[in-house]
Amino acid sequence: MTYARRALAVAWKDLVVERRSKETLNALLFFSLALLFVFQFALGPDRERLAAVLPGLLWLGFILSGVLGLGRAFLVERENDCWEALQLTPGDKSAIYLGKLAGSLVLMAVVETLVLALFVLFFNVDLGPALPGLALVIGLGTVGIAAVGTLFAAMTTQVRARELLFPVLLLPVLVPVLLGTVKATEALLLREPLAAVAHWLQLLVAADVIYLAIGLLTFDFILEG
Amino acid sequence: MPDNWTFVAAAYALAALVFGGYWLRLGRMQRELAAARTDREAVRDDRASRSQQPSKTGHPRPEPASRPPLQP
Amino acid sequence: MTTLLGWLAGLGLVAGLVMGFGVAPREVTQGNVQRIMYLHVPAVWVAYLTFTVGFAASIAYLAGRRPGADRLAHAACEVGTVFLGVNIATGAIWGKPTWGTWWTWDARLTSVAVVFVMFLAYLLLRGAIEDHERGARYGAVLSIVAALNIPLVHFSVYWWRTLHQPPSLLKPGSSTMPRVILTALLVNFAAQALLGAYFVARRARLLAAEEEALA
Repeated sequence: MTYARRALAVAWKDLVVERRSKETLNALLFFSLALLFVFQFALGPDRERLAAVLPGLLWLGFILSGVLGLGRAFLVERENDCWEALQLTPGDKSAIYLGKLAGSLVLMAVVETLVLALFVLFFNVDLGPALPGLALVIGLGTVGIAAVGTLFAAMTTQVRARELLFPVLLLPVLVPVLLGTVKATEALLLREPLAAVAHWLQLLVAADVIYLAIGLLTFDFILEG
Repeated sequence: MPDNWTFVAAAYALAALVFGGYWLRLGRMQRELAAARTDREAVRDDRASRSQQPSKTGHPRPEPASRPPLQP
Repeated sequence: MTTLLGWLAGLGLVAGLVMGFGVAPREVTQGNVQRIMYLHVPAVWVAYLTFTVGFAASIAYLAGRRPGADRLAHAACEVGTVFLGVNIATGAIWGKPTWGTWWTWDARLTSVAVVFVMFLAYLLLRGAIEDHERGARYGAVLSIVAALNIPLVHFSVYWWRTLHQPPSLLKPGSSTMPRVILTALLVNFAAQALLGAYFVARRARLLAAEEEALA
């Protein structure tokens, strides 16, 4: 089996499992909805204050649901004693990383689209011409979150206290992604042109490249028997 | 601007505490490991010497105490 | 060898104190509280130096699987975290009289705090993995991620604080420091670097002894 087919096989398996059970998707959607309410209640009814922190809230929602979802990335393998099977896979194991990453990206894209729609509804945001730029920023940010998240999820699978360790590991590393996406989102929602946030986009691209490279190069070491 | 010597003293004291504390921690770990090592060597020497001594009861087999305990 | 390093570090620290308090002059704007700098700045330099060593050792470990490389990486990351802690704490103590507040989300303080938490997480991970060989492998990957993330953190936080002006250089050129102050700073850096090396050497030895004890 070629590299690409192996990666696709892993991604397809995850998506099929998810489509059947909808376990993770439903949980993440309800979590995001709950977050929305919590944000609203925590910050009060002041319209302007909400508008000012909206980009931050949006990305808080994305990152928190990302942490929740990515933490379960290898749950299926762990619970069904497939971890050893992964370790015994012949050839370049980074195909598994890519497959897992792709599956997580699809899941996160679905959740993020719905959350964005909810934000637009609840907080009365007018996306308008900002949408394409926003889509780009969200895409770049999500790739970064998922790239590190998938790697760390694999690392914490066999560790005790993994539910605590995974966010503790992931969140500090994601600070640059968080900063870049929030500042870029903020600027775009204020109708600034994409060129104005070029340096943030460059940072996000650099982060994505670095995280993907590390993930691809080191996943073999994580899955060693 | 006033000199704020108390802050200078506090900063250097804190650094001394942290570095000194780490140094003491290294010392404590070293002592514990050395103690553990001498304990292990003592047990090993004890077992070795007991198996070489002639049996007190005249049996050709080694003393029961020097054999590993039976597993349940 | 380690003891020699220890003695050299001790001498260096004395020299650093002499330079910092005896030779360096009273600073014009801040007064004598500025002398905290001789403690605060070298600490972060030494920390980042040890993290770089840890990064290199981690790569070496993954490539060659020499246990010595893992011990060096582990010790380096641990010692670096200690020095970073000193940097943050002395930074807060320096900030109180000069800025009026213990903490501010200034670019440097913030980035150092984020890096500190990253490497604390590294120590947590190593503590949580019981299998030694797996801990070494995972630790190596994590320290590589953390080390490569350091410039990303610094750039992002710096741009975050300077709002609309993305810098073209690493940082805006710092004002030229008087020669005496620079020398005192470098002497303190050398002293703390020796202390760091001594700590790393000792910690790596202890890690070897720990492995032997569990064998």
